[in-house]
Amino acid sequence: MISPSHEAVTPGGSPKEAAAAGSGSPLEVPAAVEPLTAEQLATEWDEERPPHAGVLANVAAAVAAAALGAAGLAMSLAMGLGTPEKPEPGMWPFLVSLVMVVMSVALLLFGRKKLDAEAFSSSSWLVVAGVGTLVGFVTVVGIAGFEIPSLLLTFVWLRFLGKETWRMSILLSFIVTAAFYVIFVVALSVPIPHLF
Amino acid sequence: MDFFAPVINGFGVVLEPTNLLYCLIGVVIGMLIGVLPGLGPAATIAILLPLTYGVEPVTAIIMLAGIFYGAQYGGTITSVLLRLPGEASSVVTVFDGYALARQGKAGTALGIAALGSFFGGTVAIIGLTLLAPVVAGFALDFGPPEYTALAMLGILLVATVSNGSKLKSIIAASLGLLLATVGRDTFTGESRFTFDNLSLADGLDFVPIAMGIFGLGEILYNLEERHNKVQAPAKVANVWPSRKDLKESSGAIGRGSLLGFFLGILPGGGATIASLAAYAMEKKRSKTPERFGRGAVEGVAAPESANNAAATSSFIPLLTLGIPANATMAIIFGALLIQGVTPGPQLVQNDPELFWGVVNSMYIGNILLLIMSIPLVGVFVKILRVRAAILAPITVLITVIGVYTINNSIFDIWLVIVFGILGYLMKKFGFEPGPLVLAFVLGSLLEENLRRSLLLFGGDPAGFVGRPISSVLLLVFAAVMLLPLLQKAFKKARASAPATTARHDEKERV
Amino acid sequence: MTILIGYLPTPEGEAALDAGIAEGRLRRESIVILNSPRKGAPVDPALASEDQVAELLLRAQAAGVEATIRQPGHTDDLTDEFIDIAEEIDASLIVIGLRRRSQVGKFILGSHSQRILLQADRPVLAVKAGDKS
Repeated sequence: MISPSHEAVTPGGSPKEAAAAGSGSPLEVPAAVEPLTAEQLATEWDEERPPHAGVLANVAAAVAAAALGAAGLAMSLAMGLGTPEKPEPGMWPFLVSLVMVVMSVALLLFGRKKLDAEAFSSSSWLVVAGVGTLVGFVTVVGIAGFEIPSLLLTFVWLRFLGKETWRMSILLSFIVTAAFYVIFVVALSVPIPHLF
Repeated sequence: MDFFAPVINGFGVVLEPTNLLYCLIGVVIGMLIGVLPGLGPAATIAILLPLTYGVEPVTAIIMLAGIFYGAQYGGTITSVLLRLPGEASSVVTVFDGYALARQGKAGTALGIAALGSFFGGTVAIIGLTLLAPVVAGFALDFGPPEYTALAMLGILLVATVSNGSKLKSIIAASLGLLLATVGRDTFTGESRFTFDNLSLADGLDFVPIAMGIFGLGEILYNLEERHNKVQAPAKVANVWPSRKDLKESSGAIGRGSLLGFFLGILPGGGATIASLAAYAMEKKRSKTPERFGRGAVEGVAAPESANNAAATSSFIPLLTLGIPANATMAIIFGALLIQGVTPGPQLVQNDPELFWGVVNSMYIGNILLLIMSIPLVGVFVKILRVRAAILAPITVLITVIGVYTINNSIFDIWLVIVFGILGYLMKKFGFEPGPLVLAFVLGSLLEENLRRSLLLFGGDPAGFVGRPISSVLLLVFAAVMLLPLLQKAFKKARASAPATTARHDEKERV
Repeated sequence: MTILIGYLPTPEGEAALDAGIAEGRLRRESIVILNSPRKGAPVDPALASEDQVAELLLRAQAAGVEATIRQPGHTDDLTDEFIDIAEEIDASLIVIGLRRRSQVGKFILGSHSQRILLQADRPVLAVKAGDKS
């Protein structure tokens, strides 16, 4: 696989070595193309993916789902099951909750070894921050109109979540807000709370 | 010509300027999101649902369908040029497409892919035109028991065929069914799971759930840095494939189109599986299988024809039975319901303009795709220079403002945020969001038909087995349910053979 | 001791590379070519492709200078990236390309080269493009 690694290629190697690490021998670059195999691609993509969260994540997910199902069972029972020919409103939710509990227990017993959950990393805080800005947006939008919250939300997402430059963030957040104003208020005259 | 009159009328519908315009918009948006990593067609269609409120049902569905099949082609561009599949359905195109690009034949690969997509799409539309009325006619006799069995089978198939853990998918599906019960019970009028909240009394709307789980969930998931790899821009020269390439790939295009068409009809099938199967078939048939992975044009032609054909034919179960075959179809189903159109066997008869309008718009859409894709590849490649960080706040604002505009309700925005968090967590923990949304859409239909059938049978569940169609469907249901267990036993008996065609566990970008 | 060269596939970058190679030959020092794209987009034209990288190394080789290329992606601040690497390899000289700009243009746009000039604690050679025929 020839891909210029995005870290140092060969720190301080001889020119020849460095060139070789770059891509084959530089003179024959387009000549030979080694075949891509599924395994190569899979491992390469796997490397890019965040680390697995391990067994505990599956256990937690299964327990949460089982708890949800159990709550569903309890509430359906409270609504009344009735009989198959004359079902009460709780019958169907009861059945569904039952499936959910059974499957969660099965996941807990047999499926927890499958490492398909992703570990949380420091960048997961970005998601928390993102949700925070949305919560802020919704609380304010009814009172203050959408312009200022939109401006702030775009700016925060660009500058702090997206790590764009200050200049870019300020400029773009104004442009985006103006564009939304033109589209939603002027062009579509949607009854969204707005200041101007 | 009784059969063809409505088909011709359908063309009249498509050729209305508004519909043409929306078809173009849909196809362009589809291409764009297909090219950009991150948001997939299901997420995009979910986010754009509010846009469809103000327009005619035909127009809305024409646009949404355009997004869906446009994305199939857009994903190819990045597969070929950057070894980076924009959509899950273009993963196999990477092998030979990228190899061709490295030989300086990126243009050939893209040109063949465009032609193959066009051909596959067209074959599938013709198939859809001929087959859909037949299926619909057959399904007209379906009663509540058949619908119950069909809906259950549809949900199960989508849950088991999707990537990732089957157990988790079934859990997600049952959560979707449970969410569908929130609100007033249609039979007894009693409130269920409303927690005395007035906003919940009428049940949960489909739109905030789809927008939250697919749209916002996806946006939040992408906020964590994932697409870190930066690549140098690739050059695209001579997009027109040579006569020799065309000759070599024509067989592959034909076979891929047919295979894709049939795989697309099956519930739970769809573009991704179709492309994998077409590639595997072509490699097996080839006299020189060692060429595959080194730049065989057939290796691009077959999967690309197949995924477009499948994307088109997956409309058949939706439009004729009212059972969506995959997550994207579930959202289009929701969009139809919003418009007051219930997809099902009656659709062809009751609303021929909508039916044939949507079907025939796909011809136009495919032609538009062909026209745009070949000369405009360079433009779409330039879009890849836009950083994800810039698109994220724009999409998030479209989502929250869009959902508000539907009911002018702040509560709906809260719902989107809650379901967005749920969607994000589901993706993190390896739960597919598709089965949940599909089950939610089918939830009330399933419960209603189940209760009706039980009334019909006088409370005896054995009645399902007494009717031929429902018993066959239930038999298939049981087989699908037990198949993984049998496979596991079989696998244990044989030593493990790590013959994964591609990374099956790749999370389908929705 | 090594020479750190900031490289982009632009006339300014080429000028910096030429000056850097010439300087490396004079001083008999090895060079490190830094080509750092901005992360976040799938494609960045500032990144040199595989073929370009091979060609760059050949050019250095032809001049008899030992060369290494580094292509780390930077997220936020190219200047910090630059200064960190200069620190790490203990560069004797930093070579960068400058674009000609008016005072006003400079004020509005700001630039990484300006910040490298001001912030680096080692000699910086700023080259301009367009002198080559």
